[in-house]
Amino acid sequence: MQLHLDNFTKRFDGTAVIENLDLTVNDGEMLALLGPSGCGKSTTLLSIAGIYRADGGRILFGDRDVSNLPSQRRNVGVVFQNYALYPHMSVEENIAFPLTVGKKRPSAEEVTRRVRETAELVHIEELMARKPAQLSGGQQQRVALARAIVRRPDVLLLDEPLANLDAKLRLEMRSEIRRIQLETGITAILVTHDQVEAMSMCDRVAIMNKGEILQIDAPTQMYRAPASRFVAGFLGNPPIVFLDGQTGPAGRFEMAEGLSLPLPSRLAGMPEGQPIALGLRPEHYGAGGGASAAGRVVFVEPQGREMLFDVEAAPGIVLRSIQPVRDDVGIGDRVDWPVDTERLLAFDSEGRTL
Amino acid sequence: MVAPAILLLLAFFFTPVMLTGVFAFTDMSTSTGIGRGSYVVTPTTLRRLGDRGLGADDAEAISAASYAVDEAGLAAARDAGTDAAFLADIEERLTGETFETARDFELALRDLPSAPRSPRALKSAADLFGQSLVNHRFETRDELAEALAAHAPDVAEEMREALTDDAYTGAVFTTENFTRLATQPETGRLIANTALYVGATLSLFNVGLGLFLALVLFYMPKPVTGLFSTLWLLPRITPVVLYTIMWKWFTWEDGFLPILAEQLGLPAFNYMKGSVVTAWMTMISLNGFIGASFGLILFSGALRAIPLQQLWASEVDGASRLQQIRRVILPQLRWPILFVTSYQTLSLLSSYEHIWLTTNGGPGRTTTVWALEAFKTALSNYSGNLEYGLGAAMALVLVVVGLALSILYLRLFRFGDLVGRPRIEF
Repeated sequence: MQLHLDNFTKRFDGTAVIENLDLTVNDGEMLALLGPSGCGKSTTLLSIAGIYRADGGRILFGDRDVSNLPSQRRNVGVVFQNYALYPHMSVEENIAFPLTVGKKRPSAEEVTRRVRETAELVHIEELMARKPAQLSGGQQQRVALARAIVRRPDVLLLDEPLANLDAKLRLEMRSEIRRIQLETGITAILVTHDQVEAMSMCDRVAIMNKGEILQIDAPTQMYRAPASRFVAGFLGNPPIVFLDGQTGPAGRFEMAEGLSLPLPSRLAGMPEGQPIALGLRPEHYGAGGGASAAGRVVFVEPQGREMLFDVEAAPGIVLRSIQPVRDDVGIGDRVDWPVDTERLLAFDSEGRTL
Repeated sequence: MVAPAILLLLAFFFTPVMLTGVFAFTDMSTSTGIGRGSYVVTPTTLRRLGDRGLGADDAEAISAASYAVDEAGLAAARDAGTDAAFLADIEERLTGETFETARDFELALRDLPSAPRSPRALKSAADLFGQSLVNHRFETRDELAEALAAHAPDVAEEMREALTDDAYTGAVFTTENFTRLATQPETGRLIANTALYVGATLSLFNVGLGLFLALVLFYMPKPVTGLFSTLWLLPRITPVVLYTIMWKWFTWEDGFLPILAEQLGLPAFNYMKGSVVTAWMTMISLNGFIGASFGLILFSGALRAIPLQQLWASEVDGASRLQQIRRVILPQLRWPILFVTSYQTLSLLSSYEHIWLTTNGGPGRTTTVWALEAFKTALSNYSGNLEYGLGAAMALVLVVVGLALSILYLRLFRFGDLVGRPRIEF
């Protein structure tokens, strides 16, 4: 089912949190709403669920305008950050709950059958008699997911579903949620502030800031070609390094601190003296390229398979490089590593990508 | 910490309960007094003994007066203002003599030189020398027994013993109170009244209204909630006497309710005392409005402890508001509901002050509950004979019932679970 937000506006006490937002999620697609805290992503999600009422615009499930429907009649499934399981009900009763309330109730056999089916899908069939308090975090998460999809909702909404899990479980549940979403083919929205979650689980990512969607794209495309400095800074771990300076003579970029690099060839024709910022990702420094930047290693962080180096190229200017593990460079060493200038990102003074 | 707690427990709980327990097994009352008693044979004593086989002759013999001229008699006559010459004659001629009947003594007196002419004066003078066991106060049992033996030697030994026992005016140990409670028909009505009072107040108001208000307020915006909760606290924080007087004004013939009812064409009378049904309704309401705020506060707190996401989840799952309340909220209010029920049962069982100050158990005795009857029996009634022993026995029954219920409720609560680790992890 395609989901469409049309000019959606939400205010709290007169203050607009989200204004005139347009968003389309394709049928069967999983889309991530990614952004920092307070960007309006959870508000958007809860408005789609009908828990908040939209103050303007329309919310469409397919052709059905649900803007004025209460959440009971929207047919959405929601997984909350704290799972919100009913503590007094067994796992089985929790999953069956959406089928036993509401207008159209299936027969008892049908309920049992669908609960069992769903439990098998999320691999919790052996836990049916337990109470939520007797489950681990990951198991609770699976129950919440089962409860959300047992009614075959038009839209599945996931509100920071992995935030309460430990690192190992988070990795496991990441792929599990994606598997289940793909198997059921339910259109899904994932709200998260974790870029890795967003990029690894979703078909497309929408980056939000201050109630606006800045860019929607497939994860790889968005990483490769961010639309703005904010997006470029939000995606990538370890994060991108921004260098603020201006265009110099002969297609070069110069910084007041003394660092100078050639501009990517696509920007070679820029007039002199323009203030711009370059974005250098760690994997594009120290791994081949047409130019080089020299400096002193000030910090080394081994990450097992790779190593992260901070290189002070000019006073106060630290470049970041990620490379396969090597033992020949340590703190205080002078290095002169290549820069892949063609993959440098460039932004104008407003932060737009050039 | 433990020692002061035990001391306080001893002083404020065990001692009163122990004393109540002791008094419950006595027939202590206003007439026995609370001190040591003495021995007095009264006409009532003789009548009671008559029921137990004391012959009429024996009774006559015990109550018969004899006349002896001795120091005590002379002194009494002198105090009563008998003519001095007459008195001197009596002392001189009759000292040491005894007479079996009033007639013999009066004849002897008439023969004296300075005897008064009038038969009435003669008779009243004779009376001053009369000696009888009846209505004479003996300090000890032995004194009475001795006097009885001397006065009525013909009465059988065991009958004299029984009479001595019965003549004791102080409190004695007895299980009579409990026998009486177990057999009198009034007990059944008291129990029924108490059950109706506790049951109706608890279910309709303390739990029912409290829960209803808590749920309504839960779904209302915050500022309204605060004001409303405060309003519902008023009956609890108003002084008891003021509160009950307000109810009297509210329900009497010229009060708010009857006037309103009159305007509406409904029967208007003193609702508090005018009929059994309205008396009950008044009594339950006025007690209920006090207890409702307790439930309201507890339930409101418990409601706020339910994570908001759980309610959102149930709405998204398709549950209507009623289904949300019935299937998600109420099951999680089980403990507060049980707690309010048990706590309020105990406090309602032992409370009588509002009833005492309003219907006073009336009309008739239709709204008299156990605690009020115990209070009236022991401490406050118009007949003037306060039956401390019976009242204590009634109070003891309340204590036992209360303890039994407490133990039952603690089991029900599974107190250990309540103070144990929280069951939801985050």
